[in-house]
Amino acid sequence: MINTLAQIDHVASAGRTPWHRASALSKLVVATLLVLLAVFAPSLALLAWLYGAAWLLVLTARLPWRLSVAASAYPLLFALLFVLARWDGTAGTPLRLLLRPLTASLAAVWLVGTTPYPDLFAPLSRVLPRSVGDGLFLTYRALFDLMGRTSGLLRALRLRGGATGSARRRLTLAGEGLATMVLYGFERSQRLYAVMLMRGHSGRVCGCRHFAEWTRSDLLVAGAGLVVVAGAVALWGMP
Amino acid sequence: MTHLHIPDGVLPLVLWAPGLAVALLLLALSALALRGANRQRVAYQGALGALVLAVMAVEVPLGPLEYHLTLMGPVGVLLGPAGAFQVAFVASAILALVGHGGLTVVGLNAMVLGAGSALARPAYALLAGRLGPAPAMACATAVTQLVSGALWLAVVAAGMHAGGTGAHRLRLFAAFAFPLWLVGIVVEALVAWGIAGFIARVRPDLLPGGKAATEGAS
Repeated sequence: MINTLAQIDHVASAGRTPWHRASALSKLVVATLLVLLAVFAPSLALLAWLYGAAWLLVLTARLPWRLSVAASAYPLLFALLFVLARWDGTAGTPLRLLLRPLTASLAAVWLVGTTPYPDLFAPLSRVLPRSVGDGLFLTYRALFDLMGRTSGLLRALRLRGGATGSARRRLTLAGEGLATMVLYGFERSQRLYAVMLMRGHSGRVCGCRHFAEWTRSDLLVAGAGLVVVAGAVALWGMP
Repeated sequence: MTHLHIPDGVLPLVLWAPGLAVALLLLALSALALRGANRQRVAYQGALGALVLAVMAVEVPLGPLEYHLTLMGPVGVLLGPAGAFQVAFVASAILALVGHGGLTVVGLNAMVLGAGSALARPAYALLAGRLGPAPAMACATAVTQLVSGALWLAVVAAGMHAGGTGAHRLRLFAAFAFPLWLVGIVVEALVAWGIAGFIARVRPDLLPGGKAATEGAS
């Protein structure tokens, strides 16, 4: 999961397509529109249209297709649970149950794959309580560091015999190892806060203001949004 | 199991919309509760939130099973209910942005993770004096997993029921999920035991009611 996140993070910053140049706000609106339409779509034809549109967005953003498949396929497992539970012998119900989450997750992948995280979190942090908005930035910033350390720690545990013995011993040892991560997190937060103060921290991590800077590429995003809505209007009543 | 994040489009509106509203309300209340808190605390919350996401990605081999931890119990003890709920929301939001769990169900996913961890600190405070830090943290984590797991099962079962799933299939689902829930409780509790044991030795001041390690020496 984190590997996928790291790759998405890289392509979001390194990508050079018009989607990457468009503002975060317009992409956020289009992605939300796609998710809501997928959730409420009554017709299979509309869901197929939305799924196709989401793939078109992902492919034209030049996101690696394997990465997109891996990231967007996560809901499959969970959706299959509902498919089995609601199995009625038709093809329509399972297809609806699968296409809704797959379309929504593809839309999310397109959004994060074309938007660097400071631009993506900046509008969200403005509508969330201050501590939560700041938490988004600081959690994401700490994530890759802690992920690397955690996998290194668990590898070291295995190499030093921490993966042998009873389950109780292994899990308690893993817990002791993870406690060092808690301590590291605490010390890291002290250092980070000191650095923030030195850089003139005003009491809020605001993120940059690029998220609402309109460019010509936003016309493309608006056009994509209009095409999606037009398709939705045309196909809403179909079976 | 509680971090098998529910995706978009499988739950009815009557479940996810109130879930989102209640989660946002709880988020506002948690922000009010932490209004006077030290700003460094936000950075600490961020680090623990990142640790939660990091351990969710790591597989702990348990015989034929690969278990993914959540650490929401220890996080609940270390941060308290308000901080733990914020961590649960932020973790769910970041995961939803990469397609792991839905954007419309961020509220429900956060509540599943956060509801249990909100009880961790009170449970720990109740038990730490009698049992000591490690067993108290293990019990508090067991409570966290118990509540979060029950909530997860209830949400999924309600979603299936609303979609017309019959009682027989719901019983089958419960029979499949129940053992996994129990495994989750035991695994998380044992890991939490190790975490609290180590922190109590090295930095007891990080635990609620804990005194600084240097105090004893001086």
